[in-house]
Formats: sequence, C-alpha cells, structure tokens
Amino acid sequence: MPLSENERYPLISQSGKKLLKALHEHPSAPLFNHHVGDRIDSSALKSIYAFQADVLTRTPRWAHDQYPEWVAPFVKYCEREVPFYRQRKQVLVSFADIPTTCRADFGQAPWLFVPDDQSIDDLIVYSTSGTTGHPVTILSLPIVSSMYVPLLRAALRTRGVEMMGGSGRVSIAQICCQKSTYTFAALSSVLGEAGNLKLNLNPSDWRMPDDRIRYFDAWAPEILTGDPISFQQLASLPCAHHPKALISTSMTLLPGLQIDLEKRFNCPILDLYSMNETGPIAVGLPGADSFYQLLQPRLFIEILTPSGDPCPVGVRGEITVTGGFNPLLPLLRYRTGDQATLVYPFDSTTPALASIEGRPVTLFRDTAGQVINNIDVTQLMRRFAIARFTLHQSTDGSLILRLSPHAIPENEIISALQSLFGADQRAVLGRIDTYEGKLIQYTSDIGLVPP
Amino acid sequence: MDEQGPVLETLTHRLAECPGEFLMPPRIGSEGTIHVDAVVADLIRYLGGSADKSLTAPFRASLNPDINANKAVSNWLSTVLVTCWLLHDSWFQTEARFSSLAYGFLSNGLQDIARIVASARFVNDQDRREELARLCLAQLGLRPSGESIAVAEDRLATLSSLGRHKVIQAARAAEARALAIREAMKKAAAEEAAAKYTRE
Repeated sequence: MPLSENERYPLISQSGKKLLKALHEHPSAPLFNHHVGDRIDSSALKSIYAFQADVLTRTPRWAHDQYPEWVAPFVKYCEREVPFYRQRKQVLVSFADIPTTCRADFGQAPWLFVPDDQSIDDLIVYSTSGTTGHPVTILSLPIVSSMYVPLLRAALRTRGVEMMGGSGRVSIAQICCQKSTYTFAALSSVLGEAGNLKLNLNPSDWRMPDDRIRYFDAWAPEILTGDPISFQQLASLPCAHHPKALISTSMTLLPGLQIDLEKRFNCPILDLYSMNETGPIAVGLPGADSFYQLLQPRLFIEILTPSGDPCPVGVRGEITVTGGFNPLLPLLRYRTGDQATLVYPFDSTTPALASIEGRPVTLFRDTAGQVINNIDVTQLMRRFAIARFTLHQSTDGSLILRLSPHAIPENEIISALQSLFGADQRAVLGRIDTYEGKLIQYTSDIGLVPP
Repeated sequence: MDEQGPVLETLTHRLAECPGEFLMPPRIGSEGTIHVDAVVADLIRYLGGSADKSLTAPFRASLNPDINANKAVSNWLSTVLVTCWLLHDSWFQTEARFSSLAYGFLSNGLQDIARIVASARFVNDQDRREELARLCLAQLGLRPSGESIAVAEDRLATLSSLGRHKVIQAARAAEARALAIREAMKKAAAEEAAAKYTRE
C-alpha cells in the first residue's frame, strides 16, 4: 500500500515538494522504480539531532579490559525488556559471562529482540542481502535510517569534509551497479530537505545511457555512497562533477582502487565499516597503518576468540558488539562474523579497529564472458525461501550452488541461475549441512580480480 | 520466618482432615450456610485475642448483582474458613500470641491466592495443602520446625500458586507480544520502508 506524500514526509515544505518534483521530472532522470520517504516527524527529528550532537562531540572511549559506563545499565535493560535475553535465565556474574549472540539468532525469531517497552506502530522490515552468510530480517524504525546521517557526517569529518545539506540540492547519492535494484529520489529531513538519490548505473535503468552523466552532473551530489564496483563504473563515465567525498560500504575497498578513485574524483574516498545490524561502526583513516576510527559513542566492541575469550590488544579475533542505535535491535555481545584487531593508536582510552577483514568481493563470469557481481546473485536468490547458500565457480565456468535444506524444485533454482548467467550455464546443486558457523558465501577459481 | 513454628506435617495432615462443614457455602447476604464472621471471631478468641463485631465486619458479605463477583467473594470466604480450621491447631493456641497476625492474614492475606485456587484444593491437593500451611506460617513470621530459613523460603517459592500464575501470565503476555510483532511484520513487509543512505 503506497504512502501519501505527507506520510512519506510529515514535515515536507513547499520547497521540498518542488525539489522532489524536479528530481523526478528532470529530462535526464532515470526510470525510478520506487517511491519512499524518510517518514520523519518533528519528534523524531529532535531525537536525531540529539543523537547527532552526541555522535559529533563524544568519542567512543574505554581502556583495555574496561567497559564504558553505559554498558552495565544497558545490560540490565536488555535482561529486563528483551525477550531473547530475558529467557536465557542465566546468573551473570560479570559482562564476560553474557553468552554471545549471532546472526542465526535473528534469523530464527527477530521479534524476540524487540524490547517490550518499544512501540511497533511504525515498524519497518528490512531483509538483508545475506552477503555474509545468513540472510536475515532486521526490524527497524524510520528514525534508524535517518540516524545514519550523523554517523556519515562524523565519518566525513575525519577528512575535514562537511556535508551541508539544505533545500534545493542533492546531498547524498547512493550509486549502484546491478542488474536490478530499487531506485528512488527522496528528501532528507535531517539534511534540511536536501535530496537523497539512489541511482543504478545499469543503462537499462535510464532512457539514454548518457542520461546517467547528465543527471549526475545536473544534481551534483555532495557525497556519494556505494560499493567499489559501482564507484569504478562511475569513474569510467565522463562525468564532470567532483563530489566532496565518496563513502565506500558493503565490500572490501582495496587500496589500489581507493587511490585511483581519489585521483579520478579529486576527493577523499572513505572506507566505511558498516552492517545492517549496527549501522556504521568505523571509518578507515588515511595512512599506511589502516586504522578504523570508531563512530558510535554507544557501541562497545570486543574482539573475541572462537571460544569467546577476549583477545589481548592487537590480537586478531571476531568483532563482537554491544549496544547500537536501533531501538528494536539492542545487541548484547553480537558476533559480527568479521575479523579485526582492537588497538589503541592514539591514547590508552581511545580504541580503534585495524586489519578488518570481511565481505570480500567475488566476481563471476557468465556464459557470454561478462562479469557478474556477487550482489546480483544475492538478489537473484532472495526470491527463494532458503536460509543459506554458497556459490562457487570452477575454472571451466560451471557453478556449484550449495543450499541449506529447502523444498524448492531443483529445476526452478537452476533456471534462476541460467536467467542471470545465460541459458547454457552448467550448474549443480549441493547441500549445506550445518546451520552454525560462517561460510564463505562466494568463491571462484576463475580469478577475476575485483577492482 | 525468623522463628521455628510447628512441624509442617502436623499442619498438612490437619488440612487433609478438614471437616466438610468448613467447605460448605459461606453466607453471603441471604444465601449460603456458614457465617464466616462468627468462625473468625471464634478463632481470634481461641488464639487469645478479642473480636468485636467491627473487627469481623470484612467477613460479612452482601450479595452482588454480578454473579462472578459473588463467586469470587465466596471462594475467598471459603478459603478463610479452611485457614481458620488450620489455625485452630493447638500449637497456635498454646503460644497465645498470634491472634493479631492471624487476623491480618485472614482479612488481607488470602484475596490474591483465592482468585486463582479453589478453596477445596487446600484440602484435597497435597501441594496446595503444603502451600497454605507454609504461607500461613510465613505470614505469622514462622517457618516449619527443623527447616532453615533458606529451605523454607525456597520451598514456599516453589509451591507458590501466585508465583506460578505470574510466570504463566508473563508467558502469555510474551506470546501475545510476539504475535503482535509478527502481524506487524507482515503488514510492514507489504508497505514502504524508509529511504536509506547507504547499503551494507
């Protein structure tokens, strides 16, 4: 059921309406396939500004072997209000006794993570792409999406970049390069009704291929967000506009491409470590040491061994988080599945992440020799009710798709793969036996090198 | 529970032998047989106290047009009667110092449990006999003879109908909440989300 404009934008002004119309009716506009607003009212906006003040003024701090002061009351809150934590009925002596949680816990029953004291009137359901192994449903609220803006601002400030916002301009453009994805033109209340675009560079999403260049240059977004593959595609187009910064998410950004993109766009390229469960966690700082500065004052990070013991400073382990800003998903010792070390490069109470490793890009080849991004495979598989899958491409181009138990006819799945890779694509199905443990979802022997 | 009272089995045995008259319908308005106010007055005097009419007034009930309300009052008064039988044990009389606490228990300490346990079960059901005996002792500041405070507290908590009732209610509330969220998820999945700024 589509929302009305006032439901999408409870605070919309005349100039906001004018901008929205212009974004949609521009002669070079893409064939937008989705309408969506920020659904922010004045009370939510006030909360976001309070969050922004906190994020921009308070650095996440704790010394090794210590916890920030908000952690103990947060744990008590979770044990009192959150059914999942409450039902564990364990006698906890210390924080380290709290059992860790993982993605499979959400997958089974996301509603058990919704605190009893939270209203679900404005519930939003996001199905994550599952590029890290378990596709899951994240329950959220409109305010959570807008709370990304202060965190992006904090990330940009590490390079001296200010996102100004304001009516009549586009502040953020999310750049995609996929076979198909939702695209939209929206307004951002927290950015003073500046535009927020999601654009797919696939020419089939545009009336004319060159419209991509004309539209991009016409609206000249302050900031771009996207993954390395999309940025590389954009870099190949003769756009004249130079944004203030590019923020790379979703896949590992390799340094070689980072340097190329910085030269091409003449602006900083930020590598943001972010996930649906938490939002932006840390941003990579310039320099050879590759430290990632933490962004959220109320997100505590531990590095744990596989058995759950804290790693010493500088020793590699699994990034495990407590806290977060999604009121419907309070996280207690949530194992992210990503690996890193926690270090103290600045002083003894300001931690940073280093050597983050996760979400590698995998490129496949279709029967016509064209490159297929792993995100397109993820999108393709979303239509099936399958908990987990992995895809491997052998040197001869054949595919091995391993799936967790399901009841879908084999020919339907093979047909879906052939719709993406070509009618002659050879593929065999296998089975994933264990639900636990993180899988490497996409692998290839072909050796296509990610940008 | 600081002080040791009678042997528990004496009390549970006494409850098991509660005469049928104590389970006859209590007098409410013009209906029922047993005048509970008179039985309470007898008990208070038996325990060494004095009971005038104003003291026993809470045990004289009038008929309510609401049948369910009458049923609830009837079960409470019936539970009071069974408890009076229990407190008629000679151990309490010999001590001659419990009339005031016993009166408090009868007038204010049985309403909650009477809402969820039928009075006859305090006679016919072994666990409920033990629960009433332990509840009664606890209200008088006593614990069963030969038991430590920790054991007495633990056993009472284990038997507690009220505690169990709360657990069941909490489970039902959790179930209802989970159902409400699942319904909201279905609705939200069919609706627009909110614009995002990045992808993960």
